[in-house]
Amino acid sequence: MTAPSGRVVAVVAVVAVMIVMPAVGSEFFVTFVLTRTLILGIAAATIAFLSGYGGMTSMAQLLMYGIAGFMIGNFSVSEAGSKGLKLGIDPWLSVIAALAITTVVALLLGAISSRTTGIYYLMLTFIFAVIGFFFFGQVTTFSGFGGITGIDPPGVFADQPLRLYYLALGLSVAAYLGLVALVRTPFGLALQGIRDEPVRMAALGWNVPLHRTLAFTLMGVVAGVAGVLNVWWNGQIDPQSISIGPTIDLLIIAVIGGMARVEGAWLGAFVFVAANNYLRSIPLIDAVGITEARFNTVIGVLVLLIVVLSPDGITGLIERTRRAATPAVDPEAARSA
Amino acid sequence: MSNTRHRTWWKALAVLFALTLIAAACGSDDDGGDDGTNGDDTETESSGDETSNDDSSDEEAAGDDGGEEAMADVNGDGVLQVGIMGECEGPFGGFHEDVVGGASLAFIERAGATSNSATSALDGFSGASVAGVDIELVGIGCGDDTPDTAIQEIRRLIEQDGSEVILGPLSGDESIAMANFAKDNPQITFINGTAGAQETTLQIQAENYFRFNGDGAQWNAGVGDILHNTAGWDTAVVIADDYSFGWTSAAGFIAEFCAAGGDVVQRVFPPLGTTDYSSFVAQLPDPDEVDGYFWVVGGTGTQASLEAFVNAKGDLNGEQHAGNLFFNPGLATALGPGIAGAYVGGFASLPGDVTSPEIEAYVASANSAWESLPGALSANEPADPSVALTFGFGYSYYVAGLALIEGIEASGGDISPAALQAALGGLTLDAPYGSITLDENRQAIVDAAVQQLVLGDDGEVVSRTVAIVPGVDQTFGGVFSPDTPPPSRDDPGCAQADLPWIGNAIPVVDGVPQN
Repeated sequence: MTAPSGRVVAVVAVVAVMIVMPAVGSEFFVTFVLTRTLILGIAAATIAFLSGYGGMTSMAQLLMYGIAGFMIGNFSVSEAGSKGLKLGIDPWLSVIAALAITTVVALLLGAISSRTTGIYYLMLTFIFAVIGFFFFGQVTTFSGFGGITGIDPPGVFADQPLRLYYLALGLSVAAYLGLVALVRTPFGLALQGIRDEPVRMAALGWNVPLHRTLAFTLMGVVAGVAGVLNVWWNGQIDPQSISIGPTIDLLIIAVIGGMARVEGAWLGAFVFVAANNYLRSIPLIDAVGITEARFNTVIGVLVLLIVVLSPDGITGLIERTRRAATPAVDPEAARSA
Repeated sequence: MSNTRHRTWWKALAVLFALTLIAAACGSDDDGGDDGTNGDDTETESSGDETSNDDSSDEEAAGDDGGEEAMADVNGDGVLQVGIMGECEGPFGGFHEDVVGGASLAFIERAGATSNSATSALDGFSGASVAGVDIELVGIGCGDDTPDTAIQEIRRLIEQDGSEVILGPLSGDESIAMANFAKDNPQITFINGTAGAQETTLQIQAENYFRFNGDGAQWNAGVGDILHNTAGWDTAVVIADDYSFGWTSAAGFIAEFCAAGGDVVQRVFPPLGTTDYSSFVAQLPDPDEVDGYFWVVGGTGTQASLEAFVNAKGDLNGEQHAGNLFFNPGLATALGPGIAGAYVGGFASLPGDVTSPEIEAYVASANSAWESLPGALSANEPADPSVALTFGFGYSYYVAGLALIEGIEASGGDISPAALQAALGGLTLDAPYGSITLDENRQAIVDAAVQQLVLGDDGEVVSRTVAIVPGVDQTFGGVFSPDTPPPSRDDPGCAQADLPWIGNAIPVVDGVPQN
């Protein structure tokens, strides 16, 4: 039997480390940095998938994430002082309802944008994101700019940040396996064909807009799952959470990790979240003018470096380093990696 | 061959996934145990604390061995870790030095701390100690006016830096999210910074969240009365930031103006952080169609919104404009002398025309704590620290720090959450700009000051105090209660009512209250 590809070994090793991390890492590192990394990773993976396998750079993934979060807030919260519908229904029932609504919205928006490609697709989905921000800001029935606070997760996760971490880890692994498996299904193969040659695929009888719509819808649901995790983890959501800044942040996460590889999303998320939390703690870093308020500058420089030096992100960088280190690459392994 | 290999590794991944789920089911026990232990300590300490506050403080003070209470704080190290939650980005990002400076000044002045820098408060302070308890500033939170960031920064301050007490936040929506967060973290003590949303204390009522400043409505007490009965406004339009503070501040004006017999004919709510206000100004009636405009647009929007008005409707004049403008000298220069005569709601401290020995001592101690501070009022250029710290943002954080120090003193150095929180709830705080007590929701009862913009001797627009409304409580004379809807775009409605202070505000002449 040939040796497993480096990619698989790396993924298995990382997951194994993350399983035992609560035993060695600080509570903050696990329940804040890593949990947030996993949540953002799931959402960013949908951008990487749509872009890498569907040729669709979607800016609306954070909107899907937000819609699921806002719906959870509207459905499950009933406390005084909160905003939204305050229906106070069962948290698990809220999840089903929230994801159902996210699915319907994703299907609708996916259908609208299914006939556009390239920069137009990006712009159209960006417009959806902006509309979503103003919708939840202006329509106080569902939120208002103050957002919805006091969102509690279901009892089993209430005040149990470690359980939430493992849930995020489990769902991340599930999302990763699901996305990688999806690539190999007839649907995934057709999607890649549409990415490369939409006209030829249409001529062969494939329904191009339908495939794009379904891919967007599916990724919308996955992003929605991340959105549910986010409100359980953060306890609140407001329109600023899904405004232009965070929308671009999610794309940045996918770019840092590498759009060509789904797992790059989690890597990018880790770099982003760790930089956000630990950069300011580096001794003497404020002496060179890098304070917490300069986080965006640092991330901007990082993205610039990535785009110039390694357009396929950190995962691409790792892969090239590995290839350079092992000149005799098994061609079969390289192809399937 | 390739397929077989892949299948094997898929199986390995699937097994890992299953293991993860199993770990999710049972992995929380350790964590829960830790939390539980802390929680139990808190519960034990809290039994009977409400009645024994004074007694225990006497005992502890007499004992003065500090050993027992050293085990009782959240982190168990006998040192009180404090985090300051400010905003370094967003519409109020310019006030970061002001608020961190304000909170720090309390420790420098009253707890023997020294500033780590002579020209910036952001480097923190060290060496603070009160009633035998060392106080350590462990972190400064960097918010951007969004609840999302606020909660994440608060969690970083608590979970990573180990803060046991949080001083802050600055802004309304942040405070609502934080008060809800406080409910789930009873061992952490929160003392509000400047945030003035009503729900934070009136509706949410977190036992460990204390606010020693007024809310937006309380600050506006007296303005509606004066505008209707003195300035002669019968109709008014309200332009307010579309978030909880804007709504609360507008609610105070609307409640009082309508109670006095005026009518609010239109309400316009631009989103916080708007840069181009022209479309909102276009919705307003012209100056000849309404008696006046009441503005509650804060931060970076204040000047932009008023300039949009000038562009669309003509020059500003003091007779037709009022508001909670957060007036500052830079704004005066930008708006020109025409704005003189406008009434402005209070904001925690008082304009420079009112002086007292306490205020003078406060100014002096601010100026001796640092050589200069680059606060927002000096356009973030170095200036005397008192420039920043006599304004509401810095002053409110000073009061929060002062409350913590007096709380530790009142508990006799017992910094267990229960003892500290009980002591805070019972404080009467003799702050430089007036004494402050808390109501049953741990919300300040304050003296509100109505201000007016006037032309100074050198032709510059300055602010002066025209009236003080003593003892304004959050229910606003019964208009608001935990059962009334929190202020929003539509609430409160415009209705006549009896407010206790209408016609009873204490006039202030040349900085001297006439009581």
